[in-house]
Amino acid sequence: MEYIVELKNVSSSYLGEAYPAIRDITLMVKKGDFISIIGPNGAGKTTLLETIIGLIPIVRGKIRIFDKELQKDGILIRRKIGYVPQTFSIDEHSPFIVKDVVLMGRFGKIGMLNSPSKRDLELVNEFLQLLDIYHLKDRPIGKLSGGQQQRVLIARALAKEPELMLLDEPFSAIDPLFRKEFIKKFVEIHKKFDLTTIMVTHDLGSIPEICSKIYVMRGGRIVEELKVEEVENFRERKGVLNDLPRT
Amino acid sequence: MISLGLRILLIAIIGAILAGVTCSIIGVFVVRLKISSIGYAMSHAAFAGAALGLLLDIDPLLIALLFSFIVALLIGPISDRSNLSPEVILGIIFSLNIALAFIFLSLLPTTAASISALSILWGSILTITIDDLTYLSILTTIMISAIVLFFKEFYAILFNRKLAEADGINTKPFYYAILFMAGATVSFSLKIIGGLLVFALIVNPPSTIMQFSYDMKKIIVLSPILGAITCLIGFLLSLITDFPVGSSIVIVSSLLFAISVVVSPKRRVIVQH
Repeated sequence: MEYIVELKNVSSSYLGEAYPAIRDITLMVKKGDFISIIGPNGAGKTTLLETIIGLIPIVRGKIRIFDKELQKDGILIRRKIGYVPQTFSIDEHSPFIVKDVVLMGRFGKIGMLNSPSKRDLELVNEFLQLLDIYHLKDRPIGKLSGGQQQRVLIARALAKEPELMLLDEPFSAIDPLFRKEFIKKFVEIHKKFDLTTIMVTHDLGSIPEICSKIYVMRGGRIVEELKVEEVENFRERKGVLNDLPRT
Repeated sequence: MISLGLRILLIAIIGAILAGVTCSIIGVFVVRLKISSIGYAMSHAAFAGAALGLLLDIDPLLIALLFSFIVALLIGPISDRSNLSPEVILGIIFSLNIALAFIFLSLLPTTAASISALSILWGSILTITIDDLTYLSILTTIMISAIVLFFKEFYAILFNRKLAEADGINTKPFYYAILFMAGATVSFSLKIIGGLLVFALIVNPPSTIMQFSYDMKKIIVLSPILGAITCLIGFLLSLITDFPVGSSIVIVSSLLFAISVVVSPKRRVIVQH
């Protein structure tokens, strides 16, 4: 069985923090999987994603991604991961144009001292079109709405041609009227590009049907594993989890 | 053969242009990364160095440069290690250097020597030599080459360092290089514009260009051009009015910034039909 992501008893900690932000996490993700991580605020969902991409140091356990040790080959691994962060404040006057922001996603892959090729620029246009933001390509990113900015960041992550996508609340700023449609589109992208996806969400309504596993996090630990069909039941059973809304 | 006066003038003009280019290029990074206190911190490091140089009877500018370089090398690693923003580290370095400078000055035998150390803060463009020009040219060339060669990496860091790291760019050496280049720029511009006023030349031209563009690539190209023009006009103003050169350059750059704020299209409603 080919695992793309292997976390074994992983605990990670922010610099200067006495207590680990996530504890004893074991998570095995196969190629092609679509995994959702749910949980209330402060459960450690974002920390888990940042640990997987190597932005937060692990204090215990082991992480292997693409059959490589994260601590040794972090830079190489990150070049194959598309990461869409949750909180990303782009100020209104940010002097960056949408097409350039999407192109940045390819910088790691293009490598040092090389210039973007024609194919790199074509890929940027392709993903701008795929995410329905091609018409915004020459706009400053700071002038876009939160939902449009989120699409730009997803396009940027996809432009990397990643094998693994890490999405942190990727649909939270998308207009609720179009959210279902956008999630459907992302599922098509997941299939079309043969991606493996780990998505953190606070919104049970944004978990797609193709989701292979759902993990529930609480207090920095994975406390439960669900299947998609169990989500409704979970919502009712955990009525106290009112902070897990439905769109 | 050109006369001595003309030679001094030419060297001063070239020096002013080079300082304008160098300060304004690094200024784009300084403004975007919000580390503008690097100007104060570096100039006071140089001031402390100059005071020590006078105390030890060694060339004050040499020790001033040495002090600035040490500070420039330390800002990045200390900021990362302490998990504090570079602004905080710069604040601490600034006050530490002032304290050191006053200790060194209090140990100097004469007030004349103290005045010599203070000249580091004001600059004196007409005393720059061919050697000073050579050093500044080398710095400008290295800086422009580094930015061109590693443009992608610097550009991604300017957008967001965390995302750049997540994209597989090893941001640490590039971030440290930005801080070091900023420090080196201040050090080499001390004699031309002075430690206190160099700050304005770093911040004003990029801030002026930012009033007209949302495209960082254009800002990186246009800021040094404006920096050079600002220095040239400032220098001419100084020749006409007999104001100090550094002050004249700052007045010109501040005026240009004020005008840019007034006429900036970013503050106008533009309706396209």
